[in-house]
Amino acid sequence: MSVSTAVVLAAGEGTRLRPLTRNRPKPMLPAANRPILEHVFDALVDAGMDELVCVVGYKHDRVQDHFGPSYRDVPVQYVRQHKQLGSGHALLQARAAVDGPPLVVNGDRLIESSMVEAVAEGFERHDPSAALAVMEHPDAGQYGAVVLENDELTEIIEKPTTGEYRLINAGIYAFDASIFDEIADTPRSAGELALTDTIARLAEREQVRGVRCEGMWVDATYPWDLLTVARTVLARGKVDVTEREEGVWIHDEARVHDAATLRPPVVVGPDSEIGPGAVVGPDAALGYNVTVGANVTVERTVLDADARVDAGSVLVDTVTGQDVDVGAGSVVPGGQADVRVGNEVFEDQRLGAVLADRVTAEGDVSFDPGTLVGPSAHLHTGAHARGQIPDGAEVMR
Amino acid sequence: MCGIIGCAGRESETLDVLVHGLSKLEYRGYDSAGVALAGEGLDVCKTAGEIDDLRAALEERSPSGSVGIGHTRWSTHGPPTDENAHPHLDCNREVAVVHNGIIENYQELRDELSTAGHEFRSDTDTEVVPHLIEDELADGADPEDAVRQAIARLDGSYAVSVVMSGVDRIFAARNDSPLVLGIDSDAYYLASDVPAFRDHTDRVVYLDDGEFAVLDADGYRVTTLDGEPVEKTEDTVDWDPEETGKSGYDHFMLKEIHEQPRALRQCFRGRVDELSGTVDLADLGDLSPRGVQLVACGTSYHAAVYAAQLFQQAGIPAQAFLASEYATSPPPIGDALVIGVTQSGETADTLSALREARKRGARTLAVTNTVGSTVARECDHAMYIRAGPEIGVAATKTFSSQIAALNLLALAITSVGDAREVISGLRDLPGAVQEILDTSTAQEIAETYRDAESYFFIGRGLHYPVALEGALKMKEITYKHAEGFAAGELKHGPLALVTSDTPVFAVVTGDDEMATKTVGNVKEVEARDAPVVAVTDGASDVERYADHVLEVPDTHRRVAAVVANVQLQLVAYHTADMLGRSIDKPRNLAKSVTVE
Repeated sequence: MSVSTAVVLAAGEGTRLRPLTRNRPKPMLPAANRPILEHVFDALVDAGMDELVCVVGYKHDRVQDHFGPSYRDVPVQYVRQHKQLGSGHALLQARAAVDGPPLVVNGDRLIESSMVEAVAEGFERHDPSAALAVMEHPDAGQYGAVVLENDELTEIIEKPTTGEYRLINAGIYAFDASIFDEIADTPRSAGELALTDTIARLAEREQVRGVRCEGMWVDATYPWDLLTVARTVLARGKVDVTEREEGVWIHDEARVHDAATLRPPVVVGPDSEIGPGAVVGPDAALGYNVTVGANVTVERTVLDADARVDAGSVLVDTVTGQDVDVGAGSVVPGGQADVRVGNEVFEDQRLGAVLADRVTAEGDVSFDPGTLVGPSAHLHTGAHARGQIPDGAEVMR
Repeated sequence: MCGIIGCAGRESETLDVLVHGLSKLEYRGYDSAGVALAGEGLDVCKTAGEIDDLRAALEERSPSGSVGIGHTRWSTHGPPTDENAHPHLDCNREVAVVHNGIIENYQELRDELSTAGHEFRSDTDTEVVPHLIEDELADGADPEDAVRQAIARLDGSYAVSVVMSGVDRIFAARNDSPLVLGIDSDAYYLASDVPAFRDHTDRVVYLDDGEFAVLDADGYRVTTLDGEPVEKTEDTVDWDPEETGKSGYDHFMLKEIHEQPRALRQCFRGRVDELSGTVDLADLGDLSPRGVQLVACGTSYHAAVYAAQLFQQAGIPAQAFLASEYATSPPPIGDALVIGVTQSGETADTLSALREARKRGARTLAVTNTVGSTVARECDHAMYIRAGPEIGVAATKTFSSQIAALNLLALAITSVGDAREVISGLRDLPGAVQEILDTSTAQEIAETYRDAESYFFIGRGLHYPVALEGALKMKEITYKHAEGFAAGELKHGPLALVTSDTPVFAVVTGDDEMATKTVGNVKEVEARDAPVVAVTDGASDVERYADHVLEVPDTHRRVAAVVANVQLQLVAYHTADMLGRSIDKPRNLAKSVTVE
C-alpha cells in the first residue's frame, strides 16, 4: 500500500536547548536561516508526501503560525498533544487524522528526502509491519541503536551504554495502519509511551524492516549545536533563497549595502539589511528581518528573526534567539569555553555566546566565551557578561 | 450584503460545488441560504439559518441540474425566514434569482407587478426580478433578452444571477456589487468573491459595473447590458486556497491575531530601506497632496483616525470621515487627496463616499487588502496592505496592517527627509507583536472581568483610535456594552457611567506630556472605584493607579498603537471565548458590508 501521509512529531520542547526554547519548541529553532521543521517538511514534500499531519504541543502556536494551513501547496493538519508523554503517545494523537499507513518522522532533526523515499519504498515493496531508516553513526550511544539481521530489525535500544553498536535509528518510519492499536496496547514505562518500545514489541512478533540510509542527518542537542547545524546546511547549500555568487545567498527582498563584504558561505534572509563596512560570514546565517549595522563583524553566527546588531559590534560563534538587540560597540570575541548546562559541564566547547529571545544589550557590552543569556535579559551599557544570566535579569556595569 | 455562487459544467457535482462555495462565503452573511439547480427542470431548496441548516434540508432531497446558483444572506429587506431566503422565484416557479445589493426602486416595481396580478411570497426587494423576467418571457423574449430587459429596469446596486427551467445557462449582471467569474478548462463559475471557487480554479475574470455574463458548460460570454461584446482579460489569483483554513486554531480570529507579525513583514517587504531612510511606493506615482481626507467605516475608520494624525503631524491638513456620512454630506474637498480605507475593497459606504469625491473632481487612493476589488479598480491609485485573507468578521490583522501601510504612505508623501528612526520603529514591529503573543496575560484579565456590565477604553493622540478599536472589538464579539473615549473627554460626561463594575482600559505609553495627562484621567476613574487595566510599556507611573497591567514592549511612539491594540484584541477574544460567543460569526454582522 502506498505511503502518502506523513506524521511529524513536533510537540517536544527540547529542554537541553534552553534558554532558546523559552518561546518555541525545538523544531522551530533555526537551522541556518529557517526553522529545522521547515527542512523536515521540505524533505517530506520532496519525497512526494501529499498530506502532512503535525503533532504539536509545547508552544504549539509558533508552529501553526509559521506554516499555516499548508506548506508548498501540501495541506498541513495540526493535532495537539496536550501532555508530552512520549513519542508513541504523540503519534497516537494523530490517529483520527490519518487513514492508510503513515510515514512518521521527528520534527527536530534535519533529514534528506532520499531517506524518506527509501523508507516509503522499503515499506511498499516488502510489506512489513514497520520499516525504519537506519544509518551508521560514530556516536550510536547518544541515540537509539539498532541491530539488523538480513535487513530485519532484531534489537532496538535507547542510548546503549556499551560501545558495540554502529547503527542508529534515524527516526524515519513507515507503519501499517495497525500501529495505532499496537501503541495503545504497549504498556507505559514511567508514565510514557515511547515509540521505540512499541517497535521493539512489534519486532518480536512481526517483520520490522531496517532500511539503510546515508546522507545529511543532523541533530541539535545543545544550543551551540545550532552553529554546527548552520554550517552543515550552508555547506550542503540547503538554502531557499537566491544564490548571488558561490556560497552567498541573499534573499531578493534583503538589502545589502555596496560597501558591505559577504564572505561565503553566508545566507541573508528576507527583509534583512546589512549596512556599509559590515563583514558578514563565513558561516553566518541571518533569518527574517535582521538588521546588521555599519562596520559590524558577524562570523560563524546565527542571527534569528528580527535581530538587530548596531554599528561596530563583533559577533563570533554566537547564536541568537528572535528579536535580540545588540547595541553599538558590543563584542562577543568567541572562542572555547567550559559551558554549564543544568548540572553538566561541557568542556572546551567553541561558543561565543547564546543570546535568547529579546535579550537587549545596550551597547559596549562584552561577553566572555560560553556566556548563556536568558530571554529578555537586559545588559546595560558597558556591562561585562559571563556564565549564565537568568531570564529577565538586569546586568549593570 | 450577501454571497453568491454559480457553476456550469460540473453536471452531477453541481450541488456539492454550490454548497462548498457557500460555506466559503459564509463570512459575507449567514442568516439564510439556498440553492437553485436548472437543467430540464428547476429545483430549489432554501432555508433560514446557516449553511449547516441548508445541508440538513438538502439531506431530505437532492436537487439536480447541469447548472446552478446559490446564495447566503445577510438580511436587509425582511427578517431571516425561509420565505425571504434566496433564490426567489416567479409565479410559475420557472425562474430563480439570487441577488446581492439593494434595489432602490423595488417598491414601485412591486406595486406595478402586484397590480398586474403577480403574487409575492417574500418581503425582499429581490423578488421583483424573477417576476419582471416572467413578464418578459410571457411577451415572447428569449431567456437571455428577458433577463437583460428585466435588469435594465432596476435602479440601485446589484450582483444578480439567474437560472431558468429548461435552460442550461446562467445569466449574471453586476452594478455596484462584486461579481467575479472563475474559469476552468471544462467548467465555469461565478461568485461574489474568489474563495467560493478557489478550490477549483485560480483563473478569474472580474466583471465591471454594467456588464452582463452568460455561462454554460462550454464557456462564458461578457457583454454590456445592451449586448455589446466586452473584451475581458483573465487574471490569475496567487493565494493559496488552504489559507482559508484555521491552521489548528479554534477560531479564525485567533489565527489572524497570531498572523500579525507575518502580515506586518509582508506589508513592509520591499517598501522600506532603513539604510537610506527611504520608503519606496513608486507604483503610486507622485501624489504630493495639499490635504488629505480619509473615508472609512468600522475598524478601517479607526485606522483612518490614526492616519489623519500622522498627516497632521507632518503638516498636511487631514481629517478622517465616516464614509456613510461623507457620502451624503461631503465637506468641501478643494485639492485634497481622498483616501478610502477598506479591507474588502467592497464596502458600499466607502465606495459611495469615494464616488462622491470623484464626482467633485478629487483624486482618490484606495488602501485595501483585496487585489482586484472594486475600490482598487475605481480609485486613481491603490495601495495594498498585504495582510492575506481575513475571514473572522472582527477585523484584527488588517487593522495592524492598515496602520502599517498608512505609516508608509505618510512617510512617502510627506517626505520629511531622513525617516530612518521611524522605519527602524516599523521594522521592530513584527518582533514587538510576537513578544505580546508570547507573553500576554490578556486571558487572566478576561477571566477577571468577564461578567462586567460595561467596558470603557481611553487613550489620547494616536492611542485614541486604539481606544475606539478596543471597544469595537469588545462589542462585536462579546455582545457587551463597550465604549472608547478620548481620555480627556471622559470627565465631560461619560465619567457618570463609571462604577466599580465598569473596568476602564487605559492605553498609556511613553512618558511625555500626553502620557502624564492620560495618567491624570486614570486617577479620575480610579477615584470612582472603577477597576483600571493599564496597557503600558512601563515608562510612566500609570501602574501605580492601575489594578492590572497589560505590558507592551517599548517601541517607537508611532507604532505603540499597534502593539497596544494587540493586547486589546486578545482581551476581547478571550472574553468572548469564555462567554461562549460565536466569535468568527457574531450575530447580526457580516465581514464586508456591501449595502449602504
